[in-house]
Amino acid sequence: MGYFENIRESVRTIFEGMAITASHMVRKPYTVQYPDRIDVRVQDTLPFRYRGLLDVDLEICTGCLACERACPIDCIVIDAEKDKETREMVLKRFDIDLAKCMFCGLCSEPCPTGSIHHTPEFEGADYSLESMIRRFVKAPVVAYKPSKGPETNPEIAPILKRGLRYLDEFASPGGAS
Amino acid sequence: MQQLADRLIDTGFLQGLPRGLGYVIVVALFAFLMLNFIMLVAGVTSWLERRVWARIQSRIGPNRVGPQGSIQWLADGIKNIMKEDIVPSAADAPLFRFAPYLAMMGFFGAFAVVPFGDGLIVADINIGVLYVSAVTALVVVGILMAGWSSNNKWALLGGIRSAAQIISYEIPAALAVLTVVLFTGTLSMQGIIRAQGWAPWNWFLFHNPFTFVAFFLFFVSALAEGNRTPFDLPEAESELVAGAFTEYSGLRSLLFFLVEWGNLYLIGAICTTLFLGGWQVPAFTDSGLVLGLAQVLTFFLKAYFLVFVAMWVRGTLPRVRVDQLMTLCWKYLVPIAFVNMILAAFFAAILPNGSIFVKAGMCVFGLGLAVHFFQRVLFHLRRAKPELHLSPIV
Amino acid sequence: MSHAIDIDLHREGPGGLETEEMTLNMGPQHPSTHGVLRFVVKADGEVMRRAIPDIGYLHRSIEKIAEKVGYHGFMPYTDRVDYVSAMQCNQGWAMACEKLAGIEVPRRGEYCRVIASEFGRIASHLISVGATGMDMGAITPFTHAIREREYINDILEELCGARLTFNYMRIGGCAWDLPPGFAKRAIAYLDRFEPLIDEYDELISFNKIYVERLANVAPITAERAISWNLVGPNLRGSGVRYDVRRDVPYSAYPEFEFDVPVGTGERGTLGDCYDRYMVRMREIRQSCRILRQALEGIPAGPVVAKVPRTFKPAPGAVHVRVEASRGDMGWFAVSDGTAFPVRVHIRTGSYAAMAAIEELSKGLMIADLVAVIASLDIVAPEVDR
Repeated sequence: MGYFENIRESVRTIFEGMAITASHMVRKPYTVQYPDRIDVRVQDTLPFRYRGLLDVDLEICTGCLACERACPIDCIVIDAEKDKETREMVLKRFDIDLAKCMFCGLCSEPCPTGSIHHTPEFEGADYSLESMIRRFVKAPVVAYKPSKGPETNPEIAPILKRGLRYLDEFASPGGAS
Repeated sequence: MQQLADRLIDTGFLQGLPRGLGYVIVVALFAFLMLNFIMLVAGVTSWLERRVWARIQSRIGPNRVGPQGSIQWLADGIKNIMKEDIVPSAADAPLFRFAPYLAMMGFFGAFAVVPFGDGLIVADINIGVLYVSAVTALVVVGILMAGWSSNNKWALLGGIRSAAQIISYEIPAALAVLTVVLFTGTLSMQGIIRAQGWAPWNWFLFHNPFTFVAFFLFFVSALAEGNRTPFDLPEAESELVAGAFTEYSGLRSLLFFLVEWGNLYLIGAICTTLFLGGWQVPAFTDSGLVLGLAQVLTFFLKAYFLVFVAMWVRGTLPRVRVDQLMTLCWKYLVPIAFVNMILAAFFAAILPNGSIFVKAGMCVFGLGLAVHFFQRVLFHLRRAKPELHLSPIV
Repeated sequence: MSHAIDIDLHREGPGGLETEEMTLNMGPQHPSTHGVLRFVVKADGEVMRRAIPDIGYLHRSIEKIAEKVGYHGFMPYTDRVDYVSAMQCNQGWAMACEKLAGIEVPRRGEYCRVIASEFGRIASHLISVGATGMDMGAITPFTHAIREREYINDILEELCGARLTFNYMRIGGCAWDLPPGFAKRAIAYLDRFEPLIDEYDELISFNKIYVERLANVAPITAERAISWNLVGPNLRGSGVRYDVRRDVPYSAYPEFEFDVPVGTGERGTLGDCYDRYMVRMREIRQSCRILRQALEGIPAGPVVAKVPRTFKPAPGAVHVRVEASRGDMGWFAVSDGTAFPVRVHIRTGSYAAMAAIEELSKGLMIADLVAVIASLDIVAPEVDR
């Protein structure tokens, strides 16, 4: 390329670039001023599938341990025992170590009731590793036993509805299991 | 300024003092005022640059400290002052400590001849322009010293780059200045401004095609001397970490940044003086004070517009490589500046006072460029169909 | 890792001055080594004698982890192989498992994979071209590229719930179907995005300074590119028209029309940094083209095949290849019939590109090393795995 061609091209392209940056000076900034100067909480704007901090609805947990088995990093620890007398599953411990969790979503997939699920919450910072472990079972509870027909217990029905809606999002993975 | 000092000593509040001591006091007072002014300008420039830059990049920029973040620079300054001043154990400590002040001196000295208004100049010496290019070259000593004394290889590379760059670009800058001086016949800053008028067609920018080219040559060279993008090689972040300033922390690193942003205003001020008619305003009132204020404001706004352009350039262009920097200087800017100056000399010989037709033609050309530019901006806006937000306040 | 370095450190400079070669340590915390890379740079002033890459700062034994977590459980880890474009890594692992077990993926599942992969490719190339701009000293193109990447992340977040480590694909298909109205929103986004590519080109790609910085820097001839085992845009930048999507068709790619852009040496030498850069810019357009076809022509049906939860493929070894953002990504898996693979190996494009740097860097400027790293689009986690 010739000497003057170089000069011409430099001037032309720089002129064009300056025009583009000038046009950006009047465009709306895209910054989201998280966390305080926003109209809607970010959590509320996230899609339904957002994989945030894990939560467990103990009311509909069947104690099947599918999530514990599915977890690739063993951050879920469940102690479930069958009560000899009542022949019911009793959950003694349901811990999720959110410091370990990598939010892959593999645990919520095989859950039969949608009990373990991701919430849109993502503000999980804490001061110690110990406090990152969410202990969902405070006192031993009896695991949920799915009824044959539609759920009739008015306390559990809405929770189960939410859980099943969560499961519906998954594209019937696995099928047989 | 001597007249002012004499007046203060004869009739003002310094009455009765020995003349020598009076001068010292007046000079110290001026230096103090100027230093504070520069600090303020550099600080505000740093904030403004971040804001302009942010808008170019679809961001907001600092907007938390003070209204619209306008005292962010103060917070940053305080933070930097309170930080530990680390001198690396392998560094050449005295040089390392002294380097920022040397850089500061070089750039601050240049403000002695910046004309803020009619008579508002610290020292209207008859070689004003020459003095500026001589004194600002001191900055390079500071940066080179910083690079060398840090005992860090990245810093050394940055320092050497800076030295080569600033010394090379002195030449096209000086030649561009000479092109103007051909028409003024004086090197005094006030003299150059007085040779122009308040109206754009009386500015040297539109005086003739050669001064028009000289303006761009000078602006580009000044950007290079001020280590600004696209010539920010001495502190090229993606290559040399932070270049010559890698090892600096706290106040000393702040001083270097002060020099950079202050230099930006200096570039604007010198360009305004040489090409944009300086503080010239139409004599719309008899009141000397109002006229003086209008002059100061005009000068400040013109200089600041160029500062804005420099920020805008920084938001647009990538950085050149070291060899390309030298190629640009020695193969393009220097020959063009020489040819330009010789042609300007011919022009000055034929039409020593310029020609109204040439001036009008240049003004029309400038206007045409501006219109074309505006059209391109509109074209880009129409193509991308973005949401608009015209206000600078976000 | 130690390197045997035997360059005579002292030599005669011009005028009989004894000059000393400078050893610079670029990285691992250097601002322009993407991720944690380290280069030992032997420099003579601004000119490099050679730059010796030192890798291993980001090694996470991902291949070994595969042997411990099983086939299903390894999927989230594949996101971390190349976290800049995780979708294609997902796809590679899923395809390897499917080949092991002989599973047929439903057509809609393949389309979903293509959509996710191509969005991932655009996002990854945006990072690459943006970072090239930033390494050349222009920050604005980088923020513009990141802005668009954020929008693509929004789309992918809607699809799979995560912005970086997607974990979208499963053995036998995808975990989630497209959400309602997804195709419409995605096409609306593409309509908005495509003019911005032109704008981006005019802002930086055609900028004279930028062209000068990249053109004629570190050209790689086609023969050398092949012998160095370069893949993807780096290989195509040298003028070799090879794209796994076209030449070893997989997934639903044979059903789409797209061009494979190659370097033309338009501004300098064939195979220089500018060619590699421009190939990425053109691939973004081609990805948009594929996306439009996929979003408009997506068939109905399930997105995932029936796969048992305890996945035990038949013994055997497979190798599959996908066209990841950094080129031909090979996935090698050996099964012994249990629920855990015996051996998994991932062949990544960045690793080969990294090895080419030492040769390429000879005689370049230090500033050029940055250009070379950026144009080869090296992502540190992909090098180390």
